[in-house]
Amino acid sequence: MMTVTEKLRLISKESADIIDFIEEIFNNIKRCEPKVNAYISLDSMEIAIERLMNSMDKGKLSGILVAVKDNISTMYMPTTAGSKVLYDYVPPFDATVVERIKKDGGIIIGKTNLDEFAMGSTTELSAFGPTRNPWNLERVAGGSSGGSAAALAYGGCDIALGSDTGGSARLPASYTATYSLKPTYGLVSRYGLIPYANSLEQISPMARSVEDLALLLEIISGWDKKDATTLGLKRIKLTDISPADLKELRICIPLNLIDIAEKEVKREIWRFIKRLETEGSRIDEIDLAWGKEALSAYYTIALAEASSNLSRYDGILYPTENLGKNYRNHVLLARKKFGFEVKRRILLGTFILSEGYKDRYYVMAARLRRLVRENLMKLVTKCLIVLPTSPTLPPRIGEKIKDPITLYALDIYNIIANLAGIPAISFPIGFSSGLPIGAQLMTEPLGERKLIAAGLSIEELTGLRGMVADAC
Amino acid sequence: MHVKIGLEVHVQLTESRTKLFCGCKANYRGMKPNTNVCPVCLGLPGALPVPQKDPLILGIASSIVMNCRLPGKVVFTRKHYFYPDLPKNYQITQYKGYGTPICLGGSLRYLDPDEWEWREVRISRINLEEDPGRSVYEEGGIMRSKYVLIDLNRSGVPLLEIVTEPVLKSAREARRFVEALLLTLEYIGVTNPRLEGAFRADANVSIYGGERVEIKNIGSTLDLEKAINYEILRQEKLIEFGGKVIRETRHWDPIKGVTRPLRHKEEESEYLYMPEPDIPPVPIEPLMKEAMARLKETPWRRFEELSSMGIPREQAWSLIQTRPALELLLMAIPLGGDPILLAKLIAIDLKGELKKAGRNLYHRDNWPSPKTLAQISKLIDVGSINYDYVKLNVIPKLASNPILSLEEILPKGKANPKKLAIIAVNLSRKAVKDYLKGRKRALEYIVGVGVSMALSKGLSIDPREIRNEILKLLKSNKINI
Ligand SMILES: [Zn+2]
Repeated sequence: MMTVTEKLRLISKESADIIDFIEEIFNNIKRCEPKVNAYISLDSMEIAIERLMNSMDKGKLSGILVAVKDNISTMYMPTTAGSKVLYDYVPPFDATVVERIKKDGGIIIGKTNLDEFAMGSTTELSAFGPTRNPWNLERVAGGSSGGSAAALAYGGCDIALGSDTGGSARLPASYTATYSLKPTYGLVSRYGLIPYANSLEQISPMARSVEDLALLLEIISGWDKKDATTLGLKRIKLTDISPADLKELRICIPLNLIDIAEKEVKREIWRFIKRLETEGSRIDEIDLAWGKEALSAYYTIALAEASSNLSRYDGILYPTENLGKNYRNHVLLARKKFGFEVKRRILLGTFILSEGYKDRYYVMAARLRRLVRENLMKLVTKCLIVLPTSPTLPPRIGEKIKDPITLYALDIYNIIANLAGIPAISFPIGFSSGLPIGAQLMTEPLGERKLIAAGLSIEELTGLRGMVADAC
Repeated sequence: MHVKIGLEVHVQLTESRTKLFCGCKANYRGMKPNTNVCPVCLGLPGALPVPQKDPLILGIASSIVMNCRLPGKVVFTRKHYFYPDLPKNYQITQYKGYGTPICLGGSLRYLDPDEWEWREVRISRINLEEDPGRSVYEEGGIMRSKYVLIDLNRSGVPLLEIVTEPVLKSAREARRFVEALLLTLEYIGVTNPRLEGAFRADANVSIYGGERVEIKNIGSTLDLEKAINYEILRQEKLIEFGGKVIRETRHWDPIKGVTRPLRHKEEESEYLYMPEPDIPPVPIEPLMKEAMARLKETPWRRFEELSSMGIPREQAWSLIQTRPALELLLMAIPLGGDPILLAKLIAIDLKGELKKAGRNLYHRDNWPSPKTLAQISKLIDVGSINYDYVKLNVIPKLASNPILSLEEILPKGKANPKKLAIIAVNLSRKAVKDYLKGRKRALEYIVGVGVSMALSKGLSIDPREIRNEILKLLKSNKINI
């Protein structure tokens, strides 16, 4: 399927009609959406076209259909975070990224499925049912931004937004043969993103090509007065980048971490590395000995922040059908609506922050996080770190959900970038028995241009751009 | 001393332009419920707190005025507890372990008007934090009301939590400290302590080195004194009858005038303190200049200034309590008024009349203009009217209508200076003798008598004219002595 950049080129030359493109996408939705369940809220084609006609804003995304993860606030559509707790909640404000997309003429057609409050790696833990992988409907699409990834993969949107707390955008991208870039912490405003773990997450562009990632990131990036954690810089220019010379690339491969991947994943990642080597890239082997501890530190911090963030859902300001006998009872009723995994994480997070345990867990994790960051900073200024995006192929629906420890371990390669606040790009590198496999590159803070340049040449090398799944 | 009192005073930054983390108003009074709100202070998911400059500057200024050691950066912390009027179910505050308070220790120096002594009370720390919303109980208060109404207009209003060391020795002293604290913060433009709910205090009271008891929710300085006195008495009686003071939290009931234990459940709390991840540490240095600019005036500096002019301390004290009065004085002096005379006129006579008339002393428009006061002072000075006349006739008129001009108040008709001179000379025989013996200053006395005569009849007189007439008489040798 055509990428956004290609469509825009044709439209500007007037050799294609926007309406035809919109029709194509809604045809895909009609065919695949009932099987895949990528969207929680979705507009009709008529409404999308009406929006296009009424849109006063003409910009770099004019006529482009955007899918937005349902934990990103939109005023004209409910924002549920995949939870019963926010079932009918319509925010009275737009997220900053939504504002920026609208201002550039993008048409948001729907809100995509996710694990409840983005807590999960498979999009099976949504109150709105699991999202299936368009490449194989028996498999998960990854998570928590599984809806956005799946919609992209079946051609149900042009471009999408996910959020990446510990790989939540990159992991589903790799399971669906699409692209995602987790930006440097603070490059993209989190205003309007329903928080899971504030200090770790970034809203992340998702697309079917590197060029499209660059286009969307350029539009949503930059300082926002409504988010004190945004970096004090204007939008970064990302659409003028030429592919990197693969001969100039310096790649570091953490052997000890690649070792724990499934054999299909290992085979593909090594094949990919060998291809880079053949092209003349310099490959250095490294050891990230702290990998497993980093996963513990990540979950400790994420769950502590999550339990705090989720305390606001007490049934007072949010839709409730039943009123409790008294305050205490009402709060309990409202909080009963959380799913099992969310409750588990609230309990763990509360435990982690309790007197007597805080030092052993929370404080220790924060210290470990600093060490990870310091250690990584020395590396990422010298080379791009390459890792698979997931240690496994997309699991079968229901396969991993019962065992939280295995489920959490799916994130091991991804949490590194979130702990350190550095950018990482995930891209498809191949297939194994019809299931997509992805890899990622990480670099220094604000090294997005480097990632885009490398991504462009890798995309050329693999030829895996603009892919659409055919299982539905 | 056997009594030890430590205070925790919560003062709202009512004079801040904004709430602590959003652009809503810090002074919500008089607004319809839930109209002074936005996604941030409603705590809606995805809305983010952004520290606002105004409350930060006011917080830093408060810290400096109390001689505090300042941290390099202001760090905020989340404190968790479930409460209906706390929309996020956590409060963004500061905490020693995980966030640096805006004051790491200091002291407040102030004058205690009971003993006329300067005191210095050590401050252990000051937190800058957000106020929760308000719970409004209908139908007879918290115990009996079937429902509670939540008003979030107050949610997010900047609050200073000022914690003293347990160094106060009596209820009276505690009250005087809080009054001094509020006055100081009022002077630097942080708070208006007279607004409803602008401050609340908790007091830790222990006697004979025993366990300390915390009394919560005291809403006025008068109640503070009463509550502590009650608590001291309660603890003394308890010990007298063989009981033991236990460490507990009690609630002050201002209506019944007693402290009561809180139910045990409310006391146990695990706040799960955590650094606020949405707010990076705020460096203080870039805000220092603006904070310092707030510190031009403190009541204590003003008091010393007034004292050095020779104004009696009771009057100086009275003047610094009411800023419009102080400002009136300070503006009238450069216009030619006499400081001591003005102080007496303003602090005693005008203030008294205004109080009697039930006027708001803190409303500038209820006070006459500095020009009028300076004119009065000059007229008294040169003797053309006398002080008693001003006190009895001019001040009450100005108190009821401060924009009246002196021309409108002072006597209409003009006295005949010749006649008046004759009467004055006849009434002042001793002075005339003295004058003729060569004591030139006696002349002024005779002039004064003449002027008072005129004024007592409601007539105006130019003292120079009567002076001339008297001189003529004295030189004409027509006087029989
Ligand atoms: Zn607000």
